[in-house]
Amino acid sequence: MVPNTIGSETNIKLPFSFIIFSLIALVLSQILLLINGQMLVDGSFRIPAIWSAAHLLVLGWALMVAMGAMYQLVPVASLTKIWNEKFGFVQFFITAIGIMFFSWMLYVSPQNASIPGILMLFGILMFLFQMFMTLRKQAKPNILTAFVGSALVCLLLTIFLGIALIYSLQTGFAAQFYQAIFKSHLLMGLTGWFTLLIFGFSYKMAPMFSLSHGFPMIHARYVYGIYMSGLVITLISFFSDNSYLLKAGFFLLFAGFSIFTWHVSIIINKRLKKKLDHSFSYALGAIGLGNLIHLAAFIALWTDHFSILIGPLVYLYLLLWIVLSIMGYLFKIVPFLWWTYKYSKEMGKKAVPALKDVMNEKVVVPFFSVFVIAVLAVFLSIIFKNILFFNIGQFILSIVFVAIALTILGVLKK
Amino acid sequence: MNIKEKVIEALRSVYDPELNINVVDLGLIYHVDVTEENDVNVTMTLTTPGCPLHDSITTGVRYAVQGIEETKNVDVNLVWEPAWSPEKMSPEGLRLLGR
Repeated sequence: MVPNTIGSETNIKLPFSFIIFSLIALVLSQILLLINGQMLVDGSFRIPAIWSAAHLLVLGWALMVAMGAMYQLVPVASLTKIWNEKFGFVQFFITAIGIMFFSWMLYVSPQNASIPGILMLFGILMFLFQMFMTLRKQAKPNILTAFVGSALVCLLLTIFLGIALIYSLQTGFAAQFYQAIFKSHLLMGLTGWFTLLIFGFSYKMAPMFSLSHGFPMIHARYVYGIYMSGLVITLISFFSDNSYLLKAGFFLLFAGFSIFTWHVSIIINKRLKKKLDHSFSYALGAIGLGNLIHLAAFIALWTDHFSILIGPLVYLYLLLWIVLSIMGYLFKIVPFLWWTYKYSKEMGKKAVPALKDVMNEKVVVPFFSVFVIAVLAVFLSIIFKNILFFNIGQFILSIVFVAIALTILGVLKK
Repeated sequence: MNIKEKVIEALRSVYDPELNINVVDLGLIYHVDVTEENDVNVTMTLTTPGCPLHDSITTGVRYAVQGIEETKNVDVNLVWEPAWSPEKMSPEGLRLLGR
């Protein structure tokens, strides 16, 4: 028997700071999208207001949630303490101020966004350094380390590609590669950083929330190898402008994602917990949706409408795969954080509530179902250029986002 | 009821908050040893090595045993081998999971 008495819990205030900030950014991003709906419907994705809303959503909400979750999950998953908690709080304040200032500058004066961009970059680099120092202490790296480590590298590349975009816009530097840099920025940010991170943590959380046992893990190696190959080949295709490589890259991304979907279904079929929580079920559903969007993107490549479809498909990928997964897991992570803060020290002394009693699970099915329908409405309105449909869909989506944010914050009253 | 039985009974009040099943029915308790001086040594595991509730559950086990009047020093020894498996669960634990 090998004793293990490593204590690895993080000061709960650290992940919570990230998550509360992220909920505010989420609400702000929705307000911005709502008041700039007309331009989005006209196909004007590359305008300051959309840049600002997209970065508030992707950096202010999704990235900050991911950072907060990683401050909690990386130490427990790797059985090591976070390298330096005080450094983590400083990193939070720098990144939060950087993101808010950056998003504001993108809206009012995008050519000057590089100044807050540097502050934000510094905050994210501090986070990467923190994670590097924490992961290097891990006694036995595993496939989860590979997914999370690669996701962090993709995050770093996304930031540098973003900085290159702003620099190119300001000075005309590498203007001939502007499109390739822009596509690479999206690829590394969405399919690199977020997808690899969700893959990695799903391998930890899916068995945990379903109490699965006795499932194989060999598939994860194929998922990692094939998906990473897809990322690299797609990246090369952008700079070489080679359509065959692009098709090969998209196919590998789809294949890697499909194996991941298959593997998670194997894990879930091996579960002991018969009835899964609703929010976790939606996070699992997001995997199927992400897989379908990868397939749709690959099929669209063979049509003449790829340039029209790819924007709405990226929107769909962000909302129905990344955002839905994060929201599903957030409904599990936030009660856990709050429960740990409030009841952890009471356990064994008196009766404490279960995690499911901390979050209002009843709202999950209506909120998440309306969310999916509203996203599909917005997606179709962009394709068919219907402003009324867009406004209705986006309005409902914004309301649902705010309702979800308030439900999550409601945990703090339990 | 001897001290060992009292310890096991006390451990039934410690729940895995995610599954809402107590640590005894979940099969997490491997051994309870009580010395002549009434020092208690609990050897236990968790369902997965990277369990985020790691510290909470082991601390809960310690507090529950310390709450028994006759016990003196309490030691909780967390082990990963032999690994937890569903066979270690009680019929009641399986029933609560819907099995």
